[in-house]
Amino acid sequence: MAAAGLVILLIFLVLAVAAPLLTPYHPKQEIVSAPLDPPSWITFYTGTGGYSQNTQFSQLTFNTVGSGVTITKNSQTSNSLDFAVDSTTGGKIQLVQSLNYPYQGESKDFLGNSIVIVKNRSSPFNATDYVTKLYGTSQEENFTFWTQTLTNAQTYSPIGSLDAHNVAQRLGLGGTSLNAAEVIFNVPGTYRYVLELTLPTGNFHADVSVKEFQLAVFGNTFGWMGTDDSGYDVFTQFVYGARLSLVVGITATIIGIGLGLLVGLMAGYLGKLVDEVLMRFTDMMLVIPSLPLLIVLVAVLGQSLTNIIFVLGFLGWMGFARLVRSQVLSLRERPFIEAAKASGAGTGYIVIRHIFTNIVSLTYVNLALSVPAAIVGEAALSFLGLGSLTETTWGRMLAEARGGVSLPWWWIIPPGLGIAALSLSFILLGFGFDAIFNPRLRRRR
Amino acid sequence: MTVEKRMKIVTDKAKSSMTRVVSLVVSEMGLRGYLLKRSINTVILVLFVIVLNFTIFELLPGTQAAIANLTQNPKVHDTRVIHHLQIAYGICKGFTPAGDCIPTTFLERFLAYFKSMVTFDFGNSYSSGKPILDEMIHEGRLYNTLMLLGVSTTFSILIGVFLGVLSASKRGSLFDNGSVIVSLITYSLPTFWMGLLAILIFAQTLGWFPPGGVTPATPQWILSPPPLLTRIVVRIQYLFLPAAVLTLFFYGGHLLITRATMMESLGEDYIVTAKAKGVSNWGVLFKHALKNASLPIVTNAALSFGGLLGGAIITETVFFWDGLGLWIFNAINNKDFPVMQAMFYIIALCVIGANLISDIVYGIIDPRIKYE
Repeated sequence: MAAAGLVILLIFLVLAVAAPLLTPYHPKQEIVSAPLDPPSWITFYTGTGGYSQNTQFSQLTFNTVGSGVTITKNSQTSNSLDFAVDSTTGGKIQLVQSLNYPYQGESKDFLGNSIVIVKNRSSPFNATDYVTKLYGTSQEENFTFWTQTLTNAQTYSPIGSLDAHNVAQRLGLGGTSLNAAEVIFNVPGTYRYVLELTLPTGNFHADVSVKEFQLAVFGNTFGWMGTDDSGYDVFTQFVYGARLSLVVGITATIIGIGLGLLVGLMAGYLGKLVDEVLMRFTDMMLVIPSLPLLIVLVAVLGQSLTNIIFVLGFLGWMGFARLVRSQVLSLRERPFIEAAKASGAGTGYIVIRHIFTNIVSLTYVNLALSVPAAIVGEAALSFLGLGSLTETTWGRMLAEARGGVSLPWWWIIPPGLGIAALSLSFILLGFGFDAIFNPRLRRRR
Repeated sequence: MTVEKRMKIVTDKAKSSMTRVVSLVVSEMGLRGYLLKRSINTVILVLFVIVLNFTIFELLPGTQAAIANLTQNPKVHDTRVIHHLQIAYGICKGFTPAGDCIPTTFLERFLAYFKSMVTFDFGNSYSSGKPILDEMIHEGRLYNTLMLLGVSTTFSILIGVFLGVLSASKRGSLFDNGSVIVSLITYSLPTFWMGLLAILIFAQTLGWFPPGGVTPATPQWILSPPPLLTRIVVRIQYLFLPAAVLTLFFYGGHLLITRATMMESLGEDYIVTAKAKGVSNWGVLFKHALKNASLPIVTNAALSFGGLLGGAIITETVFFWDGLGLWIFNAINNKDFPVMQAMFYIIALCVIGANLISDIVYGIIDPRIKYE
């Protein structure tokens, strides 16, 4: 049984430590897909019809329309192009990114950009139309994302990004419930994302630099655990949350066990008045309900992970203190302690060298068995909104998952399962330690 | 190592904590002396809670900063408003003719606070401005929480004890090991996750129960309420999931304690005599064994009340159950300190009260005290 616990704990340790290797994203800084996407593996049991995943436009090419237009290319990457344009009679330049959309289902969102920098224009203030257009496939349907007239040599880019929301308003779909991504990317085929510059008539020269010309098309499923309501990856939040749960749980428990040891050793060994006072105080602290006290303390002290660790530690020592005290009381009367005293040992030496070494096994067992309480305590506080505002812990994930109309199962199940599995692993580990260190439980051979 | 042996160690540890009470008992002058001593203990505990409550809100940094924020708002130019706020929040007790604040002393604040706690006059909430006692009772929050806790406690004790007795009587069987494992699992799952899963499965996917609230949020419910029977059925529908989650979480503790104490008492000699006499199986279990095993069960049930209140805060938040727990949750988000202070006090009082009741019941049931 302890082996099972150890295995589960090792899995979570690996997840926690190797988090940056397992996922290239940051829990709350990179939008990876459309909001509230279920995981991509649901297609195994629902079939692929109606589902899509993330793709991206690529393969930048360019062509010219019109006889007098010449382009001198300076540099080119996958999403940018530097060139000089000369034209005599006007015409158009088109930069094209293409996409072969393979999915049966519609896309749910897209995110893109394009930045055009015009320098060294030859003819001042003659309008050059600058139009970005997206071409559809079979019907050759064109969706104009953005139009802008260039009046000066400067930088032009759409204000607000090109996402399904903004584009829907520009396309006139704003009032309806239609999603621009669903309307545009809904059948498999070839799509083109085109940046079209219309040049003025007459002799014209300019240096044009086009940057960040790309469009990422988000599917309606993503990854191992889907996305949250802002488009961040739930799996990333899960593995980084494992780190936080382990750190908070173990640190808070160490503080609690340490304090419990201190109080228990002092009360047990020094006896009489010290014992009475400390035990009265322990009993009083035990009566007070822990969650309301935790809530009140964190609300007053401020929300941060360090505060939670300290508060959990300062409220978790009582049970262990009582246990240690009763053990010390029985150890105190043993002959070897009397012998040590007779040899001239001081109080500190006896407590550390003799008494503590005899309760070390008790400490390990209780350490393992108390970690789940700290983990669940931190999760409960985060769930109530008292957790850290900067880190995404499992409790906070559960709190945020309640924000929408319905509960998304891929966002609710992993953090809770993580908490439960981690707690179970520590409990099993504690039972295992108990069996190793506690001779009464060993099976008689 | 078997599960039994492990349970024995757990019960031994629980019992050792109760030996303090028993040793108290044996040295007392019978029931009256015992009750007197426990009552004095309770009064000391209440005083400790009051002092702790005051300390947290007075000495720790957050509240004073929040109050300073409220009273030194640079957008407020009328000094009368600022003075009014400063008196209302207890910072100043008066003003010099020049307009400066005469600060209240620590002792004055403490005495005012002590008086308010003892008379249950908690002042007004920061977010709604209404008296806290009013909001608690007349808005039905206390009633809602009591209903939820009452139903959950009753069913978790009944189910836990009954299954514990059955488990003990079928010791070592599949039922026994199965129920212990299930109890341990449900006890270690976090309550808020169980609540969310219950909403996901039963309310969202299957649609058997509503996903939250105490009563339907439609105008007809208040304006033209349906007949009494329908009202009761609807309220039970709304109560079912939160009560079920709380019950599921807490029945495990009762089951384990019942099972442990029953297994001990079933090993006694008088059980053999009873069976030989011809008492039926049920009679042996409930009339003889359970009665003698009931002492730790009763004390444990009362002591677990503290955990039940904490679990109720979380369950009420998950199911938007309009009771004291949800009120604390909203007070946290609104930084409503009087409500937090009052609620912590009330909850601590309830737990201390439950402990006192458990001591009283212990004193009445345990014949060793009566005949001492």
